[in-house]
Amino acid sequence: MSQNVTAMSKRSLYVTVAILTIIPFIALAIVPSYVRTNPEIGGLPFFYWYQLLWLFLAAALFGLAAILYNKYGGE
Amino acid sequence: MLALSGILVWVILLLIFIFLGFYGRRWKKGDMSKLDEWSLGGRKFSAAIVWFLVGADLYTAYTFIAIPSSVFSIGAIYYFAVPYVAVTFGIAMWAMPKLWKVSKEKGFITASDFVKSNFSSRNLAILIAIVGIVAELPYIGLQIVGMLSVLTVMLSGIANIKLVVDLSLILSFIILAIFTYVSGLRGATLTAIFKDAIILISVALVIIVALVTIGFTKSFTGLPVKYYHILPLQVNAYWSLFLMSALALYLYPHAVTGSLSAKSPKSLRLSQSLLPLYGVGLALLALFGILVYGNHAAITFLKDTFVASSRGTYVVPALIFYSLPAPLTGFAFLGIFIGGLVPASIMAMSQSNLFTRNIVRELYPKMSQSREALTAKVAMIVFLFIAVGFVFVFPLSYSVQLQLLGGIIILQTLPALFLGLVTNKLNKYSLITGLLVGLGLGIYWMEVANHFHTWTTTLLPISSSVGSLFIGFLALSANLIIVLVGSLIALPFRKKQ
Repeated sequence: MSQNVTAMSKRSLYVTVAILTIIPFIALAIVPSYVRTNPEIGGLPFFYWYQLLWLFLAAALFGLAAILYNKYGGE
Repeated sequence: MLALSGILVWVILLLIFIFLGFYGRRWKKGDMSKLDEWSLGGRKFSAAIVWFLVGADLYTAYTFIAIPSSVFSIGAIYYFAVPYVAVTFGIAMWAMPKLWKVSKEKGFITASDFVKSNFSSRNLAILIAIVGIVAELPYIGLQIVGMLSVLTVMLSGIANIKLVVDLSLILSFIILAIFTYVSGLRGATLTAIFKDAIILISVALVIIVALVTIGFTKSFTGLPVKYYHILPLQVNAYWSLFLMSALALYLYPHAVTGSLSAKSPKSLRLSQSLLPLYGVGLALLALFGILVYGNHAAITFLKDTFVASSRGTYVVPALIFYSLPAPLTGFAFLGIFIGGLVPASIMAMSQSNLFTRNIVRELYPKMSQSREALTAKVAMIVFLFIAVGFVFVFPLSYSVQLQLLGGIIILQTLPALFLGLVTNKLNKYSLITGLLVGLGLGIYWMEVANHFHTWTTTLLPISSSVGSLFIGFLALSANLIIVLVGSLIALPFRKKQ
Protein backbone atom coordinates (compact mmCIF):
# COMPACT_ATOMS: atom_id res chain seq x y z
CA MET A 1 0.00 0.00 0.00
CA SER A 2 2.57 2.54 1.09
CA GLN A 3 4.79 1.40 -1.78
CA ASN A 4 1.99 2.21 -4.25
CA VAL A 5 1.64 5.67 -2.81
CA THR A 6 5.39 6.27 -3.16
CA ALA A 7 5.38 5.05 -6.77
CA MET A 8 2.42 7.30 -7.59
CA SER A 9 3.93 10.39 -6.01
CA LYS A 10 7.30 9.64 -7.66
CA ARG A 11 5.58 9.62 -11.03
CA SER A 12 3.73 12.87 -10.40
CA LEU A 13 7.02 14.38 -9.20
CA TYR A 14 8.74 13.42 -12.47
CA VAL A 15 5.85 14.81 -14.53
CA THR A 16 5.87 18.04 -12.52
CA VAL A 17 9.61 18.68 -12.84
CA ALA A 18 9.50 17.76 -16.54
CA ILE A 19 6.73 20.30 -17.17
CA LEU A 20 8.51 22.99 -15.15
CA THR A 21 11.70 22.40 -17.13
CA ILE A 22 10.10 22.35 -20.57
CA ILE A 23 7.98 25.54 -20.29
CA PRO A 24 10.83 28.04 -21.01
CA PHE A 25 11.99 25.95 -23.99
CA ILE A 26 8.51 26.00 -25.55
CA ALA A 27 7.85 29.66 -24.83
CA LEU A 28 11.15 30.79 -26.35
CA ALA A 29 11.04 28.32 -29.28
CA ILE A 30 7.84 29.99 -30.53
CA VAL A 31 9.95 32.78 -31.96
CA PRO A 32 7.21 34.54 -34.02
CA SER A 33 5.31 35.24 -30.77
CA TYR A 34 7.90 37.87 -29.81
CA VAL A 35 9.09 39.26 -33.14
CA ARG A 36 7.52 42.69 -32.63
CA THR A 37 8.31 46.17 -31.35
CA ASN A 38 5.22 47.03 -29.28
CA PRO A 39 4.49 47.35 -26.45
CA GLU A 40 7.77 49.07 -25.62
CA ILE A 41 9.07 49.66 -22.09
CA GLY A 42 10.99 52.92 -21.77
CA GLY A 43 11.74 52.81 -25.50
CA LEU A 44 12.97 49.20 -25.38
CA PRO A 45 11.14 47.06 -27.98
CA PHE A 46 9.04 44.07 -26.86
CA PHE A 47 11.50 41.68 -28.57
CA TYR A 48 14.23 42.61 -26.06
CA TRP A 49 12.40 42.97 -22.76
CA TYR A 50 10.22 39.90 -23.28
CA GLN A 51 13.25 37.60 -23.60
CA LEU A 52 14.98 39.40 -20.73
CA LEU A 53 11.90 38.66 -18.61
CA TRP A 54 12.21 34.96 -19.49
CA LEU A 55 15.62 34.83 -17.79
CA PHE A 56 13.84 35.49 -14.49
CA LEU A 57 10.96 33.13 -15.28
CA ALA A 58 13.34 30.34 -16.36
CA ALA A 59 15.35 30.68 -13.14
CA ALA A 60 12.11 30.53 -11.09
CA LEU A 61 10.75 27.46 -12.92
CA PHE A 62 14.08 25.58 -13.06
CA GLY A 63 14.78 26.51 -9.44
CA LEU A 64 11.42 25.15 -8.32
CA ALA A 65 12.01 21.94 -10.30
CA ALA A 66 15.46 21.53 -8.71
CA ILE A 67 14.18 22.11 -5.18
CA LEU A 68 11.28 19.67 -5.62
CA TYR A 69 13.50 17.01 -7.15
CA ASN A 70 16.29 17.44 -4.60
CA LYS A 71 13.79 17.13 -1.76
CA TYR A 72 11.61 14.27 -2.95
CA GLY A 73 13.40 12.58 -5.83
CA GLY A 74 16.67 11.37 -4.36
CA GLU A 75 19.98 12.46 -5.84
CA MET B 1 43.95 57.83 -22.66
CA LEU B 2 42.25 57.07 -19.37
CA ALA B 3 43.09 59.61 -16.62
CA LEU B 4 45.70 58.65 -14.06
CA SER B 5 43.10 58.02 -11.31
CA GLY B 6 41.48 55.37 -13.55
CA ILE B 7 44.79 53.68 -14.32
CA LEU B 8 45.60 53.67 -10.60
CA VAL B 9 42.30 51.95 -9.73
CA TRP B 10 42.96 49.43 -12.50
CA VAL B 11 46.44 48.59 -11.19
CA ILE B 12 45.39 48.30 -7.53
CA LEU B 13 42.53 45.94 -8.40
CA LEU B 14 44.84 43.89 -10.60
CA LEU B 15 47.16 43.44 -7.62
CA ILE B 16 44.23 42.24 -5.47
CA PHE B 17 43.29 39.85 -8.27
CA ILE B 18 46.82 38.41 -8.34
CA PHE B 19 46.83 38.06 -4.56
CA LEU B 20 43.53 36.13 -4.66
CA GLY B 21 44.90 33.89 -7.42
CA PHE B 22 47.82 32.83 -5.22
CA TYR B 23 45.80 32.77 -1.99
CA GLY B 24 43.47 30.22 -3.64
CA ARG B 25 46.05 27.54 -2.92
CA ARG B 26 45.28 27.72 0.82
CA TRP B 27 41.51 27.81 0.34
CA LYS B 28 39.77 24.46 1.12
CA LYS B 29 43.27 23.00 1.17
CA GLY B 30 44.00 19.72 -0.56
CA ASP B 31 46.89 17.61 -1.87
CA MET B 32 47.87 19.46 -5.05
CA SER B 33 49.89 16.52 -6.38
CA LYS B 34 46.60 14.84 -7.27
CA LEU B 35 44.93 15.81 -10.54
CA ASP B 36 41.39 16.13 -9.18
CA GLU B 37 42.59 18.27 -6.26
CA TRP B 38 44.37 20.63 -8.65
CA SER B 39 41.87 20.78 -11.50
CA LEU B 40 38.54 20.10 -9.76
CA GLY B 41 39.26 21.81 -6.42
CA GLY B 42 38.85 18.43 -4.71
CA ARG B 43 35.15 18.20 -5.76
CA LYS B 44 33.94 20.09 -2.71
CA PHE B 45 32.42 23.37 -3.93
CA SER B 46 29.00 24.38 -2.61
CA ALA B 47 26.00 25.36 -4.78
CA ALA B 48 26.82 29.07 -4.37
CA ILE B 49 30.46 28.63 -5.40
CA VAL B 50 29.60 26.48 -8.42
CA TRP B 51 27.01 29.09 -9.38
CA PHE B 52 29.79 31.68 -9.54
CA LEU B 53 32.34 29.38 -11.14
CA VAL B 54 30.14 28.15 -13.99
CA GLY B 55 28.65 31.62 -14.30
CA ALA B 56 32.19 32.93 -14.71
CA ASP B 57 32.35 30.97 -17.94
CA LEU B 58 29.39 33.06 -19.11
CA TYR B 59 30.97 36.45 -18.51
CA THR B 60 33.83 36.00 -20.92
CA ALA B 61 34.92 37.93 -23.98
CA TYR B 62 32.04 36.15 -25.75
CA THR B 63 29.68 38.25 -23.64
CA PHE B 64 31.69 41.51 -23.55
CA ILE B 65 32.97 41.56 -27.08
CA ALA B 66 31.47 39.02 -29.49
CA ILE B 67 27.76 39.50 -28.70
CA PRO B 68 27.59 43.33 -28.21
CA SER B 69 29.86 43.74 -31.23
CA SER B 70 27.50 41.71 -33.42
CA VAL B 71 24.34 43.37 -32.10
CA PHE B 72 26.07 46.68 -32.89
CA SER B 73 27.06 45.79 -36.44
CA ILE B 74 24.42 43.21 -37.52
CA GLY B 75 21.36 43.66 -35.33
CA ALA B 76 18.79 41.93 -33.13
CA ILE B 77 19.56 38.39 -34.35
CA TYR B 78 22.61 38.29 -32.05
CA TYR B 79 20.30 38.70 -29.08
CA PHE B 80 19.91 34.90 -29.50
CA ALA B 81 22.47 34.69 -26.69
CA VAL B 82 19.68 35.62 -24.25
CA PRO B 83 17.25 32.73 -24.95
CA TYR B 84 20.37 30.57 -25.18
CA VAL B 85 21.40 31.27 -21.60
CA ALA B 86 17.76 31.15 -20.48
CA VAL B 87 17.40 27.48 -21.52
CA THR B 88 20.91 25.98 -21.43
CA PHE B 89 20.68 25.48 -17.66
CA GLY B 90 17.44 23.53 -18.04
CA ILE B 91 19.58 20.94 -19.86
CA ALA B 92 22.54 21.22 -17.48
CA MET B 93 20.48 20.74 -14.30
CA TRP B 94 19.53 17.23 -15.42
CA ALA B 95 22.54 16.12 -17.48
CA MET B 96 25.42 17.32 -15.30
CA PRO B 97 24.38 15.74 -11.94
CA LYS B 98 24.20 12.41 -13.82
CA LEU B 99 27.72 12.91 -15.16
CA TRP B 100 28.85 14.02 -11.69
CA LYS B 101 27.61 10.81 -10.05
CA VAL B 102 29.30 8.41 -12.45
CA SER B 103 32.46 10.56 -12.45
CA LYS B 104 32.75 10.60 -8.66
CA GLU B 105 32.13 6.86 -8.47
CA LYS B 106 34.72 5.98 -11.12
CA GLY B 107 37.20 8.83 -10.62
CA PHE B 108 36.53 10.53 -13.96
CA ILE B 109 37.88 14.02 -14.56
CA THR B 110 36.86 14.63 -18.16
CA ALA B 111 33.94 13.84 -20.47
CA SER B 112 36.29 11.61 -22.46
CA ASP B 113 36.90 9.46 -19.37
CA PHE B 114 33.16 8.83 -19.30
CA VAL B 115 32.91 8.11 -23.03
CA LYS B 116 35.77 5.64 -22.87
CA SER B 117 34.15 3.71 -20.04
CA ASN B 118 30.57 3.91 -21.34
CA PHE B 119 31.28 2.72 -24.89
CA SER B 120 34.51 0.80 -24.18
CA SER B 121 36.17 2.67 -27.02
CA ARG B 122 39.60 4.20 -26.61
CA ASN B 123 39.54 5.67 -30.13
CA LEU B 124 36.24 7.47 -29.58
CA ALA B 125 37.54 8.88 -26.28
CA ILE B 126 40.76 10.14 -27.87
CA LEU B 127 38.83 11.67 -30.77
CA ILE B 128 36.51 13.51 -28.39
CA ALA B 129 39.49 14.73 -26.34
CA ILE B 130 41.09 16.16 -29.49
CA VAL B 131 37.84 17.88 -30.55
CA GLY B 132 37.54 19.39 -27.04
CA ILE B 133 41.13 20.69 -27.03
CA VAL B 134 40.79 22.17 -30.53
CA ALA B 135 37.42 23.81 -29.79
CA GLU B 136 38.81 25.53 -26.67
CA LEU B 137 41.78 27.07 -28.46
CA PRO B 138 39.94 29.85 -30.35
CA TYR B 139 37.76 30.37 -27.25
CA ILE B 140 40.92 31.34 -25.33
CA GLY B 141 41.98 33.37 -28.37
CA LEU B 142 38.72 35.30 -28.14
CA GLN B 143 39.46 36.11 -24.47
CA ILE B 144 42.79 37.59 -25.53
CA VAL B 145 41.11 39.68 -28.23
CA GLY B 146 38.79 41.06 -25.54
CA MET B 147 41.68 41.90 -23.22
CA LEU B 148 43.55 43.65 -26.03
CA SER B 149 40.47 45.76 -26.84
CA VAL B 150 40.23 47.02 -23.25
CA LEU B 151 43.94 47.87 -23.12
CA THR B 152 43.73 49.61 -26.50
CA VAL B 153 40.85 51.88 -25.46
CA MET B 154 42.38 52.49 -22.02
CA LEU B 155 45.75 53.54 -23.39
CA SER B 156 44.60 55.05 -26.68
CA GLY B 157 46.70 58.06 -27.62
CA ILE B 158 49.98 57.16 -25.89
CA ALA B 159 53.23 56.62 -27.77
CA ASN B 160 54.25 53.03 -28.67
CA ILE B 161 50.75 51.83 -27.79
CA LYS B 162 51.14 48.47 -29.56
CA LEU B 163 54.30 47.63 -27.65
CA VAL B 164 52.85 48.63 -24.27
CA VAL B 165 49.62 46.70 -24.90
CA ASP B 166 51.45 43.55 -26.04
CA LEU B 167 53.88 43.62 -23.11
CA SER B 168 51.06 44.13 -20.59
CA LEU B 169 49.21 41.19 -22.09
CA ILE B 170 52.20 38.83 -22.02
CA LEU B 171 53.07 39.85 -18.46
CA SER B 172 49.48 39.16 -17.35
CA PHE B 173 49.56 35.71 -18.92
CA ILE B 174 52.85 34.84 -17.22
CA ILE B 175 51.32 35.76 -13.84
CA LEU B 176 48.15 33.84 -14.73
CA ALA B 177 50.15 30.74 -15.68
CA ILE B 178 52.09 30.84 -12.40
CA PHE B 179 49.08 31.14 -10.11
CA THR B 180 47.07 28.59 -12.07
CA TYR B 181 50.06 26.26 -11.72
CA VAL B 182 50.16 26.63 -7.94
CA SER B 183 46.47 27.13 -7.12
CA GLY B 184 44.62 25.22 -9.85
CA LEU B 185 40.84 25.56 -9.94
CA ARG B 186 40.80 27.04 -6.43
CA GLY B 187 42.64 30.14 -7.67
CA ALA B 188 40.38 30.43 -10.71
CA THR B 189 37.28 30.17 -8.51
CA LEU B 190 38.28 32.83 -5.98
CA THR B 191 39.24 35.23 -8.76
CA ALA B 192 36.01 34.38 -10.61
CA ILE B 193 33.93 35.63 -7.69
CA PHE B 194 36.02 38.82 -7.52
CA LYS B 195 35.73 39.44 -11.27
CA ASP B 196 31.98 38.86 -11.41
CA ALA B 197 31.31 41.22 -8.52
CA ILE B 198 33.23 43.94 -10.40
CA ILE B 199 31.49 43.20 -13.69
CA LEU B 200 27.96 43.13 -12.25
CA ILE B 201 28.50 46.51 -10.55
CA SER B 202 30.04 47.97 -13.74
CA VAL B 203 27.19 46.78 -15.97
CA ALA B 204 24.62 48.20 -13.55
CA LEU B 205 26.45 51.56 -13.41
CA VAL B 206 26.76 51.91 -17.19
CA ILE B 207 23.12 50.92 -17.74
CA ILE B 208 21.89 53.45 -15.18
CA VAL B 209 24.06 56.24 -16.60
CA ALA B 210 23.13 55.37 -20.19
CA LEU B 211 19.41 55.23 -19.41
CA VAL B 212 19.46 58.52 -17.50
CA THR B 213 21.57 60.44 -20.02
CA ILE B 214 20.56 58.80 -23.33
CA GLY B 215 17.65 56.34 -23.01
CA PHE B 216 16.60 53.63 -25.42
CA THR B 217 14.30 55.87 -27.49
CA LYS B 218 17.20 58.08 -28.56
CA SER B 219 19.53 55.10 -29.15
CA PHE B 220 17.07 53.31 -31.44
CA THR B 221 16.21 56.47 -33.39
CA GLY B 222 17.41 56.19 -36.96
CA LEU B 223 18.33 52.50 -36.75
CA PRO B 224 16.89 50.09 -39.37
CA VAL B 225 14.11 47.59 -38.49
CA LYS B 226 16.59 44.71 -38.00
CA TYR B 227 17.72 46.42 -34.79
CA TYR B 228 14.20 46.62 -33.32
CA HIS B 229 13.59 42.87 -33.65
CA ILE B 230 14.67 40.05 -35.94
CA LEU B 231 13.12 39.94 -39.43
CA PRO B 232 10.45 37.29 -40.21
CA LEU B 233 12.92 35.47 -42.46
CA GLN B 234 15.42 35.15 -39.56
CA VAL B 235 13.08 33.08 -37.36
CA ASN B 236 14.60 29.72 -38.29
CA ALA B 237 18.13 31.06 -37.93
CA TYR B 238 17.20 32.41 -34.49
CA TRP B 239 15.84 29.21 -32.93
CA SER B 240 18.53 27.03 -34.48
CA LEU B 241 21.24 29.36 -33.12
CA PHE B 242 19.91 29.57 -29.58
CA LEU B 243 18.87 25.94 -29.13
CA MET B 244 22.13 24.56 -30.55
CA SER B 245 24.22 26.98 -28.47
CA ALA B 246 22.26 25.83 -25.42
CA LEU B 247 23.12 22.22 -26.23
CA ALA B 248 26.76 23.06 -26.98
CA LEU B 249 27.71 24.95 -23.78
CA TYR B 250 28.01 21.90 -21.54
CA LEU B 251 29.90 19.92 -24.14
CA TYR B 252 32.79 22.37 -23.78
CA PRO B 253 35.47 20.88 -21.53
CA HIS B 254 35.59 23.97 -19.26
CA ALA B 255 31.87 23.63 -18.43
CA VAL B 256 32.42 19.97 -17.54
CA THR B 257 35.34 20.94 -15.28
CA GLY B 258 33.18 23.52 -13.47
CA SER B 259 30.32 21.06 -13.01
CA LEU B 260 32.47 18.24 -11.64
CA SER B 261 33.91 20.53 -8.94
CA ALA B 262 30.55 20.55 -7.09
CA LYS B 263 30.38 18.76 -3.75
CA SER B 264 27.16 16.85 -4.52
CA PRO B 265 24.65 16.25 -7.35
CA LYS B 266 22.02 18.18 -5.41
CA SER B 267 24.13 21.30 -4.95
CA LEU B 268 25.14 21.08 -8.62
CA ARG B 269 21.49 20.84 -9.75
CA LEU B 270 20.40 23.78 -7.61
CA SER B 271 23.27 25.98 -8.79
CA GLN B 272 22.57 25.21 -12.46
CA SER B 273 18.85 25.85 -12.14
CA LEU B 274 19.44 29.39 -10.88
CA LEU B 275 22.07 30.35 -13.46
CA PRO B 276 19.62 32.00 -15.92
CA LEU B 277 19.76 34.95 -13.49
CA TYR B 278 23.41 35.33 -14.42
CA GLY B 279 22.25 35.93 -18.00
CA VAL B 280 20.64 39.25 -17.05
CA GLY B 281 24.07 40.89 -17.17
CA LEU B 282 24.70 39.27 -20.54
CA ALA B 283 21.41 40.66 -21.90
CA LEU B 284 22.28 44.16 -20.66
CA LEU B 285 25.76 43.93 -22.22
CA ALA B 286 24.14 42.89 -25.52
CA LEU B 287 22.05 46.07 -25.29
CA PHE B 288 25.29 48.11 -25.04
CA GLY B 289 25.51 47.36 -28.77
CA ILE B 290 22.35 49.50 -29.22
CA LEU B 291 22.91 52.07 -26.46
CA VAL B 292 26.26 53.09 -27.92
CA TYR B 293 24.40 54.58 -30.93
CA GLY B 294 22.92 57.18 -28.58
CA ASN B 295 26.29 58.20 -27.12
CA HIS B 296 27.64 60.76 -29.54
CA ALA B 297 31.17 60.90 -28.08
CA ALA B 298 31.56 57.09 -28.10
CA ILE B 299 30.30 56.76 -31.69
CA THR B 300 32.61 59.54 -32.88
CA PHE B 301 35.59 57.88 -31.15
CA LEU B 302 34.74 54.48 -32.71
CA LYS B 303 34.33 55.95 -36.20
CA ASP B 304 37.50 58.05 -36.03
CA THR B 305 39.77 55.42 -34.50
CA PHE B 306 38.83 52.06 -36.03
CA VAL B 307 37.88 50.73 -39.47
CA ALA B 308 34.27 49.56 -39.85
CA SER B 309 35.09 45.84 -39.72
CA SER B 310 36.85 45.97 -36.33
CA ARG B 311 34.76 48.75 -34.75
CA GLY B 312 32.35 46.37 -33.01
CA THR B 313 35.12 44.90 -30.86
CA TYR B 314 35.53 48.22 -29.06
CA VAL B 315 31.83 48.99 -28.45
CA VAL B 316 31.68 47.99 -24.78
CA PRO B 317 34.99 49.59 -23.68
CA ALA B 318 34.10 52.77 -25.59
CA LEU B 319 30.63 53.07 -24.05
CA ILE B 320 32.10 52.57 -20.57
CA PHE B 321 34.86 55.10 -21.21
CA TYR B 322 32.40 57.78 -22.32
CA SER B 323 29.75 57.01 -19.66
CA LEU B 324 31.65 56.68 -16.38
CA PRO B 325 34.15 58.96 -14.57
CA ALA B 326 37.80 57.86 -14.80
CA PRO B 327 38.11 55.88 -11.53
CA LEU B 328 34.96 53.88 -12.32
CA THR B 329 36.13 53.32 -15.89
CA GLY B 330 39.34 51.84 -14.48
CA PHE B 331 37.22 49.65 -12.21
CA ALA B 332 35.06 48.38 -15.11
CA PHE B 333 38.03 47.91 -17.46
CA LEU B 334 39.79 45.74 -14.90
CA GLY B 335 36.60 43.66 -14.68
CA ILE B 336 36.62 43.05 -18.43
CA PHE B 337 40.37 42.45 -18.46
CA ILE B 338 40.29 39.72 -15.80
CA GLY B 339 36.99 38.62 -17.36
CA GLY B 340 39.26 37.30 -20.12
CA LEU B 341 42.01 35.98 -17.83
CA VAL B 342 39.88 33.83 -15.51
CA PRO B 343 38.06 31.87 -18.24
CA ALA B 344 41.38 31.46 -20.07
CA SER B 345 42.76 29.79 -16.95
CA ILE B 346 39.76 27.44 -16.58
CA MET B 347 39.81 26.61 -20.30
CA ALA B 348 43.52 25.83 -20.39
CA MET B 349 43.10 23.61 -17.30
CA SER B 350 40.29 21.67 -18.96
CA GLN B 351 42.38 21.27 -22.12
CA SER B 352 45.29 19.99 -20.07
CA ASN B 353 43.01 17.50 -18.26
CA LEU B 354 41.92 16.04 -21.61
CA PHE B 355 45.48 15.99 -22.90
CA THR B 356 46.87 14.29 -19.79
CA ARG B 357 44.03 11.90 -19.01
CA ASN B 358 42.89 10.91 -22.46
CA ILE B 359 45.96 11.21 -24.65
CA VAL B 360 49.17 10.95 -22.55
CA ARG B 361 47.75 8.33 -20.17
CA GLU B 362 46.67 6.20 -23.13
CA LEU B 363 50.30 6.14 -24.25
CA TYR B 364 51.80 5.72 -20.75
CA PRO B 365 49.17 3.84 -18.71
CA LYS B 366 51.57 3.33 -15.77
CA MET B 367 52.01 7.07 -15.13
CA SER B 368 51.91 7.80 -11.36
CA GLN B 369 49.36 10.17 -9.80
CA SER B 370 51.88 12.88 -9.06
CA ARG B 371 53.41 12.57 -12.53
CA GLU B 372 49.91 12.89 -14.00
CA ALA B 373 49.25 16.10 -12.04
CA LEU B 374 52.63 17.54 -13.06
CA THR B 375 52.01 16.73 -16.74
CA ALA B 376 48.66 18.52 -16.57
CA LYS B 377 50.18 21.61 -14.93
CA VAL B 378 52.89 21.90 -17.57
CA ALA B 379 50.38 21.24 -20.38
CA MET B 380 48.18 24.05 -19.01
CA ILE B 381 51.04 26.54 -19.44
CA VAL B 382 51.73 25.29 -22.96
CA PHE B 383 48.06 25.62 -23.98
CA LEU B 384 47.82 29.16 -22.57
CA PHE B 385 50.82 30.28 -24.57
CA ILE B 386 49.75 28.50 -27.75
CA ALA B 387 46.64 30.71 -27.60
CA VAL B 388 48.72 33.85 -26.94
CA GLY B 389 51.09 32.93 -29.77
CA PHE B 390 48.16 32.30 -32.08
CA VAL B 391 46.73 35.77 -31.44
CA PHE B 392 50.10 37.41 -32.07
CA VAL B 393 50.93 35.46 -35.21
CA PHE B 394 47.56 35.63 -36.99
CA PRO B 395 45.21 38.60 -37.48
CA LEU B 396 42.82 39.15 -34.54
CA SER B 397 39.83 38.29 -36.71
CA TYR B 398 41.06 34.67 -37.03
CA SER B 399 40.26 33.99 -33.37
CA VAL B 400 36.73 35.27 -33.84
CA GLN B 401 36.23 33.20 -36.98
CA LEU B 402 37.58 30.02 -35.44
CA GLN B 403 35.44 30.62 -32.38
CA LEU B 404 32.42 30.46 -34.73
CA LEU B 405 33.63 27.07 -35.93
CA GLY B 406 34.35 25.94 -32.34
CA GLY B 407 30.65 25.90 -31.48
CA ILE B 408 29.89 23.77 -34.52
CA ILE B 409 32.59 21.18 -33.90
CA ILE B 410 31.97 20.79 -30.15
CA LEU B 411 28.28 20.06 -30.93
CA GLN B 412 29.36 16.94 -32.78
CA THR B 413 30.35 15.33 -29.47
CA LEU B 414 26.72 15.51 -28.27
CA PRO B 415 25.67 11.96 -29.24
CA ALA B 416 28.52 10.31 -27.32
CA LEU B 417 28.20 12.49 -24.23
CA PHE B 418 24.55 13.45 -23.76
CA LEU B 419 22.95 10.38 -25.37
CA GLY B 420 25.63 8.33 -23.63
CA LEU B 421 24.29 9.55 -20.27
CA VAL B 422 20.90 8.06 -21.13
CA THR B 423 21.89 4.83 -22.91
CA ASN B 424 24.94 2.66 -23.56
CA LYS B 425 23.23 0.87 -26.46
CA LEU B 426 24.76 3.17 -29.09
CA ASN B 427 27.28 1.52 -31.39
CA LYS B 428 30.81 2.92 -31.04
CA TYR B 429 31.66 2.72 -34.75
CA SER B 430 28.47 4.64 -35.61
CA LEU B 431 29.43 7.27 -33.03
CA ILE B 432 32.91 7.67 -34.55
CA THR B 433 31.51 7.83 -38.11
CA GLY B 434 28.80 10.31 -37.09
CA LEU B 435 31.36 12.53 -35.34
CA LEU B 436 33.72 12.56 -38.33
CA VAL B 437 30.92 13.21 -40.84
CA GLY B 438 29.52 15.98 -38.60
CA LEU B 439 32.96 17.65 -38.41
CA GLY B 440 33.52 17.34 -42.16
CA LEU B 441 30.09 18.67 -43.12
CA GLY B 442 30.36 21.48 -40.54
CA ILE B 443 33.61 22.75 -42.08
CA TYR B 444 32.35 22.23 -45.64
CA TRP B 445 29.11 24.16 -45.00
CA MET B 446 31.09 26.96 -43.34
CA GLU B 447 33.06 27.28 -46.57
CA VAL B 448 29.89 27.20 -48.71
CA ALA B 449 28.03 29.70 -46.52
CA ASN B 450 30.98 32.09 -46.71
CA HIS B 451 31.61 31.47 -50.44
CA PHE B 452 35.06 29.99 -49.68
CA HIS B 453 36.23 33.34 -48.29
CA THR B 454 36.82 34.77 -44.81
CA TRP B 455 34.41 33.21 -42.30
CA THR B 456 31.95 35.78 -41.04
CA THR B 457 28.73 33.78 -40.70
CA THR B 458 27.64 30.41 -39.32
CA LEU B 459 24.30 30.54 -41.12
CA LEU B 460 23.68 28.55 -44.30
CA PRO B 461 20.96 29.91 -46.64
CA ILE B 462 18.40 27.14 -47.31
CA SER B 463 15.60 28.62 -49.41
CA SER B 464 13.66 31.85 -49.80
CA SER B 465 10.81 30.55 -47.59
CA VAL B 466 12.91 28.91 -44.85
CA GLY B 467 15.66 31.52 -44.74
CA SER B 468 18.96 30.38 -43.16
CA LEU B 469 19.78 27.74 -40.57
CA PHE B 470 22.69 27.46 -38.13
CA ILE B 471 25.28 25.08 -39.62
CA GLY B 472 25.77 23.39 -36.24
CA PHE B 473 22.15 22.23 -36.38
CA LEU B 474 22.54 20.77 -39.89
CA ALA B 475 25.83 19.00 -39.08
CA LEU B 476 24.46 17.61 -35.81
CA SER B 477 21.36 16.32 -37.62
CA ALA B 478 23.53 14.41 -40.10
CA ASN B 479 25.65 13.10 -37.22
CA LEU B 480 22.60 11.94 -35.23
CA ILE B 481 21.03 10.16 -38.22
CA ILE B 482 24.25 8.17 -38.74
CA VAL B 483 24.53 7.31 -35.03
CA LEU B 484 20.91 6.20 -34.70
CA VAL B 485 20.67 4.24 -37.99
CA GLY B 486 24.09 2.65 -37.43
CA SER B 487 23.21 1.65 -33.86
CA LEU B 488 19.87 0.14 -35.00
CA ILE B 489 21.61 -1.96 -37.65
CA ALA B 490 24.24 -3.07 -35.13
CA LEU B 491 21.71 -3.93 -32.42
CA PRO B 492 20.99 -7.58 -33.45
CA PHE B 493 24.73 -8.33 -33.57
CA ARG B 494 25.18 -6.82 -30.15
CA LYS B 495 22.63 -9.20 -28.62
CA LYS B 496 24.43 -12.27 -29.96
CA GLN B 497 27.60 -11.43 -28.02
